Amino acid sequence: MRPLTKVTEIPQISTGFGSGNIYRERILPLLRYLRRNPLLIGGIGLLVALFGCVILGYLFYEQEDWMGNKQGVDGLTRADSVTAREKPSWNPFGVHPLGTDEQGRDILAVMIVGTPLTLRIGLIAAAIGVGVGMILAFLAAYVGGWVDGIIRVVVDSLIPIPGLLILVLIATSLNPGKGLTVDQMAFVISILAWPGPARAIRSQVLVMRERGYVEMARMSGTSTIGIVFREMMPNLSPYVLASFVASVAGAILASVGLEALGLGPLDSPTLGMTIYWNIYTSSLLKSLWWWLIPPIVVIVLLFIGLFLMSAGLDEVANPRLRRRV
Amino acid sequence: MFVITIWVASTIVFFLPRVSGQNPLAEKIYQDAQRGGYQDPAVQERVRVFEQKYGFDKPLWQQYVKFVSEVVQFDLGRSIYLWPKSVNEILAEGIMWTLSLGLLTLLLAFLIGSAMGALLEWRRNNWGLMVAMAPILALSAIPFFIFGLVLQLLVFNIDREYPLVYGYQQGVLGWPDWSDLSFILSVLKHGLLPALSITMVSLGGWAMGMRGMMVTTKGEDYMVQAEAKGLPDRVMLTKYAVRNSLLPQVTGLSLALGLIVSGVVLVEIVFGYPGVGGQLVQAVSRSDYPTIQGIVFLLAFGTAAATLGLDLTYPLLDPRIKSLAN
Repeated sequence: MRPLTKVTEIPQISTGFGSGNIYRERILPLLRYLRRNPLLIGGIGLLVALFGCVILGYLFYEQEDWMGNKQGVDGLTRADSVTAREKPSWNPFGVHPLGTDEQGRDILAVMIVGTPLTLRIGLIAAAIGVGVGMILAFLAAYVGGWVDGIIRVVVDSLIPIPGLLILVLIATSLNPGKGLTVDQMAFVISILAWPGPARAIRSQVLVMRERGYVEMARMSGTSTIGIVFREMMPNLSPYVLASFVASVAGAILASVGLEALGLGPLDSPTLGMTIYWNIYTSSLLKSLWWWLIPPIVVIVLLFIGLFLMSAGLDEVANPRLRRRV
Repeated sequence: MFVITIWVASTIVFFLPRVSGQNPLAEKIYQDAQRGGYQDPAVQERVRVFEQKYGFDKPLWQQYVKFVSEVVQFDLGRSIYLWPKSVNEILAEGIMWTLSLGLLTLLLAFLIGSAMGALLEWRRNNWGLMVAMAPILALSAIPFFIFGLVLQLLVFNIDREYPLVYGYQQGVLGWPDWSDLSFILSVLKHGLLPALSITMVSLGGWAMGMRGMMVTTKGEDYMVQAEAKGLPDRVMLTKYAVRNSLLPQVTGLSLALGLIVSGVVLVEIVFGYPGVGGQLVQAVSRSDYPTIQGIVFLLAFGTAAATLGLDLTYPLLDPRIKSLAN
């Protein structure tokens, strides 16, 4: 007969937050899970690498202007300054690694400055969109009744309207001729960024509300606020994160689209504006390929990184998609 | 829902330009007056007459009621820039190009993508298919028009003579002549790159959706039964699995329409295609509000109508819905 284990040897069951080593309980399982989710790793890796290049560029990249002074990336992207004027359309085989554009801006510097600007539009718009969407989703699912009805009708009637076109109207009415600033762009895009997340999160909340543990919390007297933040939020977070990443991609798509139409920030060197100037000056027909290729490559990398990330997060949120080990 | 969408669209289209508080009509007239080189004394008077013509002198709510009632009858007013051309005339020139490009590529991508997705799941361990899917999936992450630019770059370096922009070869006449065979060929040649850039990029999405549905369908009892009956593989794939998986794809179609329309508009801009997308850019650069409003309304209406159409045909495709409704 096996000897009975002593009571003290029964392993301690983790009781959630604040017990024991955070690294071993929270971060290690996460890392272990990440190893099985190559999509998420790939996406995060791609974006981190891109951002690393941007930081390195800000720190170390400099070029001489035509007067022999050293200029950082900010100086090299100002088309109106004396630094740029003397070097239009240089090919990438000289001192400028990616060449210069028609205005004499250093294209590598434009990429270094433009990538975070474009990402910034996406992040701000998506944060507002998902935030508002989440609030509306909880309102709709919890208050119910006519509040739910109104939110649903508004969301359902906005989703079939092609968003870009409404944004075109908004952008043309707000500031014609001069173009918007980067942050104004983000706010304009966020106006239409909430219906998608609102719909996705609402249906998740409705499902989750009927789950056993939520019922349990309700019966033991937890307030609605407590249920929402302590019970549901942790379980919703993969969905929210997935819809956030998808919203960032959507917002960047909208911003690049608006910019390609000529409605972007005319004086900021974002990726979309670089595309716009390429289309506007038909650079391809002038064989300025070194001006067109870099923004395309960076945009493609950005989108693929976000796509991989959202596919990976989908796998977290929806275990049925997980690969069998 | 359809009616509400149309109402929301027309309201947005009406109010947004008026919030800005600018007067493109007066600006246009002043511009024209200045171009003549001498000061026209009647210019104020002319602004007043035109404002009356457009109804800008009436209170806002009257304008709104008039606008909505006219829009419902598809009277989209007259262009400011191309006065006295009506917006309907302008749209009539562009819409066929947009519609044919959009519908053709949508259909192609939907069919090919669904077929690929179905095969991908059916022949699970086929490495050839999986290798072919990788670049297509990567493509599906990027916007249509960015891939369009890539195609332009590639083709320009292979064949400098290949037409990269516009919708057709402008012949001696300068306008479309559909009786001429070489003209029709030039239309096809011009349309190939835009069509390719939309189709290639949308393939991946449909394929992944279809694959997901096939996974679900394969687990159904009737599939087990079909296999037990000893049905041939081909029959099981086409008659059992694909037929049942295709239905939810149609739902996906109605959800994707809005995004596709936005995408097609941008592709048209990159390729200088003569559809409504190109007209939209022109109208934006000319502050031609009635034309912008008209294009936005038309496309919103078209998308909503297509969504409604899909919702209405769904019971025909899936008899279960009909019996549920009864």
